Amino acid sequence: MAGRTLTIQAYLDQIQNVRDLVSLAAADAGFDDSENYAVQLAVSEACENIILHGYGQENDSPITVSAQPKPGVLEIELLDHAPPFNPARSPRQPEWSNEDPPIGGLGLIIIHRVMDKIDYARDGDHNRLRMQKRGASAQT
Amino acid sequence: MEIDVKEYKRVSVITVTGRIDSATSSEFEQELNELTEAGRVNLVLDLSAVEFISSAGLRVLVTTRKAVKSAGGDVVLAKPSDQVIETLEIAGLDVLFDKFPNREAAVASF
Repeated sequence: MAGRTLTIQAYLDQIQNVRDLVSLAAADAGFDDSENYAVQLAVSEACENIILHGYGQENDSPITVSAQPKPGVLEIELLDHAPPFNPARSPRQPEWSNEDPPIGGLGLIIIHRVMDKIDYARDGDHNRLRMQKRGASAQT
Repeated sequence: MEIDVKEYKRVSVITVTGRIDSATSSEFEQELNELTEAGRVNLVLDLSAVEFISSAGLRVLVTTRKAVKSAGGDVVLAKPSDQVIETLEIAGLDVLFDKFPNREAAVASF
């Protein structure tokens, strides 16, 4: 299956283009609608983190997204030039009550709940985030 | 994203169409803040036509819920789309919001 690659500038309104690419690749991988949506959501959260926490603000800096579908499996790689930022560490998930639900950190929680594998590497002046999602149809 | 607000005697119904993400959530938040600051604290969110909601949108829902609850009100959801339900469930926040099959039932809950 052919991979798909896209480079956007670090603006929040560019993330929709990433979701569109991920959606096509997820369809190529044979994901159902729910799996497709979930992986779009997780990749979207990762891009938002790169823009707001990595680069620190919207600007012209690049984010390159590569999506490689395989039968039942989708591999995503995000590459950016921001200072080191590792989203692969498991997020802190303290106990909370309905009166005091969490507001911050939801993006990382979503990424870790959706993706089956998350690897981060600092590669020269790049952050390289690799994530894998296995669909229900994936071969075991 | 488009937002439509209809105010009834005791309840405000906010209908959102499109995507609530990091690029649009500030507009959503501003609309809800204006309502709560005007004392409108019984809110029905019709999210049946929301095709995407990210954590940025969830943060607005949670902060609005906290504000209206402290003033004796609540936020309930009318016919949330499958995408809204999926994001809420993934984040583990679905338990926070009562959901109704249509806006009439949601309005009648207040």
